[in-house]
Amino acid sequence: MLRYIASRGLRALITIFLVLSFAFVILRLSGDPALLILSPDAPPEALEAFRKGWGLDAPLWRQYLGYFLNIAEGNFGQSMRDGRPAIDLVLERIPATLAITLPAFALKLLIGVPAGIFAALHRNSLIDRLVMSLSVAGYTIPSFVLGLVLVLVFAVNLGWLPSGGYTSPWHAVLPIVTLGLGGAAILARFTRSAMLEVLGQPYIRTASAKGLIWRRVVTSHALPNAAIPTVTIIGFMVGSLIAGAVVVESVFSWPGVGRLLVSAVANRDLAVVQAILLLVAACMVTSNLVVDALYGWIDPRLRSGRTVKAGG
Amino acid sequence: MASIETTPLAAEAEKAERGKLSRFLEAYPPLVIFGITWIAATLIVAIFADLLAPYIYSALDLKARLAPPVFMGGTWAHPLGTDELGRDVLSRLVISIRISLLIAFASTILSATIGVLLGFLAAHFRGLVEQVVLTLIDFQASMPFMIIALAVLAFFGNTLTLFICLMGFYGWERAARIARGLTIAANEQGYAASVRDIGASPLRVYGLHVLPNIASTLIVSVTLTFPEVILLESGLSFLGLGVQPPLTSLGNMVGYGREYLQSAPWILLAPSAVIVLTTFSISMVGDWLRDRLDPTLR
Repeated sequence: MLRYIASRGLRALITIFLVLSFAFVILRLSGDPALLILSPDAPPEALEAFRKGWGLDAPLWRQYLGYFLNIAEGNFGQSMRDGRPAIDLVLERIPATLAITLPAFALKLLIGVPAGIFAALHRNSLIDRLVMSLSVAGYTIPSFVLGLVLVLVFAVNLGWLPSGGYTSPWHAVLPIVTLGLGGAAILARFTRSAMLEVLGQPYIRTASAKGLIWRRVVTSHALPNAAIPTVTIIGFMVGSLIAGAVVVESVFSWPGVGRLLVSAVANRDLAVVQAILLLVAACMVTSNLVVDALYGWIDPRLRSGRTVKAGG
Repeated sequence: MASIETTPLAAEAEKAERGKLSRFLEAYPPLVIFGITWIAATLIVAIFADLLAPYIYSALDLKARLAPPVFMGGTWAHPLGTDELGRDVLSRLVISIRISLLIAFASTILSATIGVLLGFLAAHFRGLVEQVVLTLIDFQASMPFMIIALAVLAFFGNTLTLFICLMGFYGWERAARIARGLTIAANEQGYAASVRDIGASPLRVYGLHVLPNIASTLIVSVTLTFPEVILLESGLSFLGLGVQPPLTSLGNMVGYGREYLQSAPWILLAPSAVIVLTTFSISMVGDWLRDRLDPTLR
């Protein structure tokens, strides 16, 4: 088990390293920030001073090293637009993002998992077909279309809810529903296929053949085994709590991390984009690690150090 | 046909006939037929976009701004209405379908190629190469692609070619995983080993023997990637960071149509419907293909 966690931890570190390097390469080699921030016809001395101020005149490897040292110290650089530390700009947006992604996450779990389990247990019934149709719809309707249709119906036509903004709890309803429904559909689909896979296994047949009541077969044999693939997708959803609402935040003018990212990208604000990229990577990697630890707990076979088979 | 008309035989024939129909419907469910038809239709639209578009997609008609579509009281001059600059929505839709499908096709092919090549490399060399590929797969799978795409797009600027290449990195890890797994299995099977023993080069073994054997599973994985690329492209274009004006794509139309959600909802409803129907159709056909080609993948 320890070895298993350690190898996963190493992978996590490598992922973080890759993200850092990726950010560095992409952001530094894509153009001269001095020309982007100041205009190309700025006086050469000003450009030079800017480059010096941001350490852009050092050789690349020195920049690369300095970049890692800075990040190790928690210094993500300053927003090139308003001069404030990038990490502060990002952190102050997190509560707004979590205010919609956390309830949406709860909604996904509350709708998706039970619907998937129920559909699998009543395979080919009317409800199963309904769940599956809704799930396909949820999967194929992009969030911005769902969001805009909800706005059109509930804000424009019915006038029940505000269409965008951040002033009252009512403003959060449509973004939460938009995020939650889409995620619930994906989760329902995953849960259903995981359950169906498990229900077809010989040990389920054995369990019911030995006279176990069906409820027990489901709760103590089917559900724990179906939990493994489901936990993976839930882990991904946890990891994207911070950055999973880029589009939805834009649809509803919600002042979260996602909108900050979009505007930082549009303004080419390197430091802010970097900080968000790293934050997202850290979240994803952490939730992956937790999921891996959970696997060990759910699936005792893994504790003995056997590797998990990658699902295709 | 023989002229035997006895009742039991006729009844049996009728039963067989009905069996044929229900068997046909079972093999080709209505939704799948709809999906195939829709995909074919969009392909035709994409190919003949120039002929089908009634106007030049960027042509302004300032006198007919925000004209409603026919079914909302408009005229046949602009069947799907016009936008805020009087550009014909139908013409823009047709061109958008072409651009969106072009991006989706090119990117999906690119991503499948990258994935298969890396999968083959991993399976062929094993050892360090395989570890590197697996780490890359892990990296790609653990980062939301949208975030990576946003970073790359903003800092490299945006051209159609660059955008397609970027989208081509979406989903390669899925193809790579499948290709690696199946190739390792294939290498242990007789056919790959025997071709190799005859003296075939690795290129020949993988290209002519392994690839055709794993193709069906790969095609199924491509049907998963394709609609996701459409969704991703339309999402990015919706944010204004994907396909750039004056070019237009489905997501693009929805993005600027949003400004006119109250006064002219038709600008965004038509492209939205096309996005949804297209991804829906491909998913339906993909699921169906998966059942037919590769029951183990379910």
